[in-house]
Amino acid sequence: MTTVVTSDDIKTRFRTTLANFIDSWGLDTPITADTKVVDDLEFDSIDITQLVVAVETEFNNRGIGFQDLLMQDGRYVDDLAVREIEAFLISRLLGAAEG
Amino acid sequence: MTTTLLIGMDGATFTVLDGLTTEHPEEGVVMPFLAEMINSGYSANLRSTKHPLTPPAWTTVFTGRTPGNHGVFDFVRFKDMGDDLYFTLYDARDIRTETLWQIASRKDRSVVSLNFPMMAPPPEINGSLVPGFVSWKHLKRNMWPSTLFDRINSIEGFNAREMSWDFERESQIGELMPDSELYAWVETHLPRDEQWFNIGMYLLQNDDPDLFALMFDGTDKIQHQAWHVLDPELWDGTGDEAAKSVRRLVIQYFRNLDRYLQEIHAAAGGEDCHMVIVSDHGFAASDKVVRINAYLAELGLLYWRESDGSESAKKRDLSDFANLDWERTLAFTPTPSSNGVVIRQKSEKNPNGVPPEEYEAFRDKLIADLLALRDPETGEAVITEVMKREDAFPGPAMEDAPDLTLVLADFGFVSIRNKTPFVVTRPTPFGTHHPDGVFLMSGPGVRNMRGDTMSIANTATIVAHAMGMEVPEDFEGVIPDDLFEPAWLADNPVKIGPPTRPMDAEMGIVGKGDDDDREATDEEREEVLEQLRLLGYLEDD
Repeated sequence: MTTVVTSDDIKTRFRTTLANFIDSWGLDTPITADTKVVDDLEFDSIDITQLVVAVETEFNNRGIGFQDLLMQDGRYVDDLAVREIEAFLISRLLGAAEG
Repeated sequence: MTTTLLIGMDGATFTVLDGLTTEHPEEGVVMPFLAEMINSGYSANLRSTKHPLTPPAWTTVFTGRTPGNHGVFDFVRFKDMGDDLYFTLYDARDIRTETLWQIASRKDRSVVSLNFPMMAPPPEINGSLVPGFVSWKHLKRNMWPSTLFDRINSIEGFNAREMSWDFERESQIGELMPDSELYAWVETHLPRDEQWFNIGMYLLQNDDPDLFALMFDGTDKIQHQAWHVLDPELWDGTGDEAAKSVRRLVIQYFRNLDRYLQEIHAAAGGEDCHMVIVSDHGFAASDKVVRINAYLAELGLLYWRESDGSESAKKRDLSDFANLDWERTLAFTPTPSSNGVVIRQKSEKNPNGVPPEEYEAFRDKLIADLLALRDPETGEAVITEVMKREDAFPGPAMEDAPDLTLVLADFGFVSIRNKTPFVVTRPTPFGTHHPDGVFLMSGPGVRNMRGDTMSIANTATIVAHAMGMEVPEDFEGVIPDDLFEPAWLADNPVKIGPPTRPMDAEMGIVGKGDDDDREATDEEREEVLEQLRLLGYLEDD
C-alpha cells in the first residue's frame, strides 16, 4: 500500500481499482468521471458492497464511512457517478489527513 | 502426499444420511462410500454454534474459536447511526482470530481451501484458496494467489458462473415453490458442486497439499427447499409425480456427492490419509412462521417506517433487512437469519434508546414477553429459549452479537415482515437448521465407533493434530478421548503449542505472535539438544 498524497493520486487509484473490479465482466464501457456504476456498469447491490471492500482494501482503511455516501435521507442511493465516489474519497481521505 | 482431508457438507444431518447409507428397496444404497466410512470409522453428532448459522458455524470450524471470539454472527452486520441503520455483509476482515489455513501456512504446511464462507477478501496462505458465497463477478480477484484463476480456467469444463454464488437464486430459499419449479431450482445445484469437485481434484492432484479442505454447500440449499422429499418423517415415496421427480433429482445429487468423496479420498492416498467430514449444523422441519418484528411492534417496542408508496420503498420493505422508524424503535430483529433481538440503548446518536440503568430490567421483561408468545393453533410456546449474549457468545467480540438470541420450537428462522398474525403454519414444512450436524472421521488410528455428541469447535483441534501440528493453546475444542486407538495416540500425542496470533483489527491481517514462524524439524531439534548437551544443560543417556 502506498500513502495517499494528492487528489489525483486518489482518483488514479480508484479508477485502477474500479477497472480491475469489472475486468472479468465482459463490459465494453470506458470509465470516465460521468460513468454511473448502476446504469453504465450494471452494478447490483452486492457489487456496490464488494466495491466498498475493494476500495477499503486499496486504501487500507475501513473507516472511510461509505454509509454516508450510500445512504441519503434514509434510503440507499439508486446510482452513483464515478466523480461522486472520487469526490467522496478525496474529502474523506485528504480531509482526514489534513484534519 | 496429502495427509489430511477436511470435507464440509453444509447442513448435512444423520436424519437424512442414515437413510442414504442403508439399503433402500428402490434406491439401493445411495451413498456407499459414506456408508463404509460410517461402518469402519468414527462418527458423532456435531453440536453447532449457539446460533446454528453458516457464517458463524463454519468460521468456528476453521478457526477453532466460538463466535464471541472470532466475531462473525450472521451474513449481515449493521452500523447503527441513530437515525438509520447501514447494513453490509460480514467478510474475511471481520474474523478476529487466525484461520486453520493461516496457522498451517506459517507452520510450513501447504493448504488448499475451497468454498468456505467468510473467505473474501482472501487471506494470504501457503497454497490456494477460492472463497465460497462469492458471485462470479468477484471470483477472479478474490482468489489466492492472484494467478489461481488462470490455472483453474484451464480445467476442462470450468465455468465460473456455474460454480459461483447466485444471490438471486439463493435468496429464493424460504419461498414456497411448486415441485415443478423446485425441480429446475435444484437442478442448478448439481453442476455447481461438480465444478467445485473438479477444481478440488485438479488442485489435489497437481499441488499435493498437506491439508485439503473443500466445502460442498448444495446439501444445505437442497435440504432447505426440498426437505419434504428428504425427511423420512415426511417422505414415504407416495407423493405425486412432480414430487417424485424432485426426489429422484435430489437422490442423484447425493449419489454424485458420494462419488466426489470417494474420488477425493482415493486421490489423497486412501486409507493412509485422515479424512474428516463435518457439517456446520443439521436440519429439521420448520412448519411455523414467526413474525417477530410484528410481535415487537405489538409490544410497543418497534415502529415501522412509513412507506411513501414508491417502488423503491416497496422493494425496501420486502428486503431481508429491517426497515423501521429508528427514532422510536427500542428493540428489533435486524435480519431473519440472525434470530436475534437487538436492544437499542440510549446514546448521543440514539437519545430515545433504553437508558443504561434500565437495560437489565428492560431485557428481563422482553425475555419474559418473548417466551410468552404462543401458537394460536396449539397454545404451545413458539420460542423455547432466549439466550443473553453474555451466555451465548462470551468473548471480546460479544458486543457485536444481538442482545438476545432466540431458539424457536421448530428451530426455524424468524420472519421480519410487517404482517399478522404473529404465528402461522406453513403450507409445506420447510427445511431449517438444527443444532446437531455430523462428524465423521477415518484414517490411521481412528476408532470404529459412534461417539457422543461433540462441539463443532473440536474440528480445528482434530485437524491440526491429524496434520501433526501443535494445537494452539487458545483453540477451544478438544480431541475426544475415544476418537483414536490408545496405541496410536501414544505414538502421536496431542501437543499443545503457543496461542494463535492476533489479527489486525482493521484489515484482518495476521500479526506477529510470540511463537516461531514454524515448528522445528527433527534435525533442528536434535541440533538444539546437542548444543544444550555441549553447554551442560542436558545429561547424555
